[in-house]
Amino acid sequence: MTPEPVTLRLFLSVLVVLLVIAPDLIARGRPSAATLLNATLPALALLMPHGALAYGLLALATGAHAYQARPAGLQAAAMMLVAAVALALGAAALLLAGPSALAFYMSILALILRAGLLGLHGGMSALWRKLPALQVQQYTTLLVLVFSHLRFSDHATALAAADAIVILGASSALIFGLTSLVQRNLDGLLRASMLMHGGLMIAATGAAGKGHAVAALFVSLSMTLAVVGLCLMVLALEARVGKVTLLRPGGRARAFPRLAAAFGFFGAAGVGMPGTAGFIADDLILHALWSESVYATIAVALASALLAIATLRAITLCFMGPQTGSVAPDLLPAERLFAFGLVLLLLVSGLTPQLVVGAAVGLFGNN
Amino acid sequence: MFDLAHLALVVAILSPLLAAIIAGSSMLIGSRMPGERTVVRMLWAGLLSALLASVFIATAYATSWPVPLHGEIDFGSWIAIGDYEIPAVFLVDQYAVAFSLLGAVLTALVARFSETYLHKDPGFFRFYVLLGLFAAGTQLLAFAGSLDLFFAGWEAIGIASTLFIGFFHERAEPVRSAIRAFTTYRICDVAFLIAIVATHELVGSTRLSDLGRAESLPTLEVSLIAFLLLIAAFGKSAQLPFSGWLVRAMEGPTPSSALFYGGISIHAGLYLLLRTAPVLGMAPGAAIFGATVGLLTAFYASAVVRTQADAKGALAQATLAQIGLILAEICLGWTTLALVHLITHALLRVWQYLRAPNMLHDAHHHAHHEHRTHAAPATDTALSRLRGRLYVEQLHRFRLDDRLDALVTPVLALAHWLQRIDERWFDRDERRRTETEA
Repeated sequence: MTPEPVTLRLFLSVLVVLLVIAPDLIARGRPSAATLLNATLPALALLMPHGALAYGLLALATGAHAYQARPAGLQAAAMMLVAAVALALGAAALLLAGPSALAFYMSILALILRAGLLGLHGGMSALWRKLPALQVQQYTTLLVLVFSHLRFSDHATALAAADAIVILGASSALIFGLTSLVQRNLDGLLRASMLMHGGLMIAATGAAGKGHAVAALFVSLSMTLAVVGLCLMVLALEARVGKVTLLRPGGRARAFPRLAAAFGFFGAAGVGMPGTAGFIADDLILHALWSESVYATIAVALASALLAIATLRAITLCFMGPQTGSVAPDLLPAERLFAFGLVLLLLVSGLTPQLVVGAAVGLFGNN
Repeated sequence: MFDLAHLALVVAILSPLLAAIIAGSSMLIGSRMPGERTVVRMLWAGLLSALLASVFIATAYATSWPVPLHGEIDFGSWIAIGDYEIPAVFLVDQYAVAFSLLGAVLTALVARFSETYLHKDPGFFRFYVLLGLFAAGTQLLAFAGSLDLFFAGWEAIGIASTLFIGFFHERAEPVRSAIRAFTTYRICDVAFLIAIVATHELVGSTRLSDLGRAESLPTLEVSLIAFLLLIAAFGKSAQLPFSGWLVRAMEGPTPSSALFYGGISIHAGLYLLLRTAPVLGMAPGAAIFGATVGLLTAFYASAVVRTQADAKGALAQATLAQIGLILAEICLGWTTLALVHLITHALLRVWQYLRAPNMLHDAHHHAHHEHRTHAAPATDTALSRLRGRLYVEQLHRFRLDDRLDALVTPVLALAHWLQRIDERWFDRDERRRTETEA
């Protein structure tokens, strides 16, 4: 039984709302007005029938992010987000007249900026360092940008630009995979992980130009679920023990067994653990990239392996070693609920991927 | 049509996985951790169902009763996008039946053994959840009819293996060993992944039954796929130059060492080569390379085992020697001999590993019955010096780990260099924090 495309869009909308409000809901018990705005605009964008409307809403959502980044003194992040707003607005205006090459390039540039392609990742880094909850929101809505790009972009331009985008994305993923190995704190590892996955999303979106749109959507969805899950666990851990260094074993598994288990699960799902959506995503992206470039295929496979090693190292250094006690509680009910929901989604879409894929085929055709 | 054959396959693969998921979820959702008895019951239900299903499949395969069960069993597509498909197909043949039965029986035995062995251990719950994941991975590996499904089982076994090595995580050494084993697995798995993609793109299918089609490919392309599969197998089965992790893997609990490094996991690489034997048969260069590596590993392990002072370390080297021989047999095309060798070897080793903690008792017993002989006084000749040097090398396992580490050092240096550039240009907060810490 394959769901209808509209069901997929509704499902993605609800998912985006839940993921965007998750950090606020966990921290304060209710989302702030700004967070609700951040959640609603991209969710509506998913349901829009016309590209101009979708990109317009995305520009508004990104603008809200930029506004919230302003007081924290995040010039790089605010500049990056303002540039993304301008690009999204430009794409929206151009799409009024129908798909065009310029609209395509504006859309892909907005994606590159927000996913943090190597060399343009300063803003995203700063956002994660200073306002992690906002970065989680920003990262979640990337899924909507990918979706809109796949749906409304100009196919001829996408075909022509595919090779270059794939190489850029794969190279970026490889380099951040490599740097993930030498991170000295958990913040840094998450930053490298997000940027590596951002590279994968860019590469997958590039490959969509040659007929792999469904793969690109599935990759983006599974990366979003895994990375957001991991971010929520890192925020939960840091709320309990402060900033976590990776210089010596932390021994927190006995104090926070559920947190450790959930952290391990999301980490593993992000690097292709079988049974989770990450496994299918890895498989799909490698097949999609092979037709573009063997180099990109090897780069992405290596990047995923390197990040997996770095993630395991981080898990061992956070939770293993001589055990220490803590007065802070393990995952609270609201955190557990979100963690369990994400685990379930990753498992269901990993074990029965055709539910998502079938509906996506209905949207994008057999490609 | 969904019949008894389909049901048996589903039960064999999914029941231990479901048991592990239910146990794991109960920990995540529940207000307190489940007790030992609850966990054992949950996992026993899964493992016993898998064992019964495996016996059913073996009976049906051998006697065609109550249903004939052999060849490909198709469940449709796991994923289908246009002409790209990951088929949910299983292959029931002599290899699958033998490996599945071996896995199910050994896992059930080890589960029973561990109930007493790990009683009151803080990791009891974790052990059984991982055992469920491993059992599901083994059954999936055994019956997988396509390389994609095979890889899923392969990865599940790899993850479980890593977590078992680092089981006693309060000590630093098991954790370091787990990371080393995992690193070896993942790097070699890159070769496997690329082999899968290449097979799909060049042969047109990843079904094991379609591998014969590779005959129409140029020798270079078939050899490339065969080499990649060999590298994946070398990593999983600890063949040279990736043998170093196996001795370190003995840091895990004895039951998991028995199951993984005596029984199933260490033979998974060989099972991969048995499944993809047609490709090896079409690439004589790769086959010769594989046989050579197998024989070299056997020589290496036979030399090293003579200097091992601990029981599990010696068993690990003895295992390696036999695995090397089986690898050579497969590469020479003696697949039936290799299968028999694999099963008998696995059974013997599991028994030996499980008895390893009794080694002191056994040694006492032998000491009473042995006549001591006195070694002749050493003379300083060129031959004795050579022997001495060889002895030191054997003792250090020919410094295999150091040599591999030397290859990794430049990669880490590159990563550090990239990180410094990143901090200087793009991540100033981290740079400031580093400077403050300094």
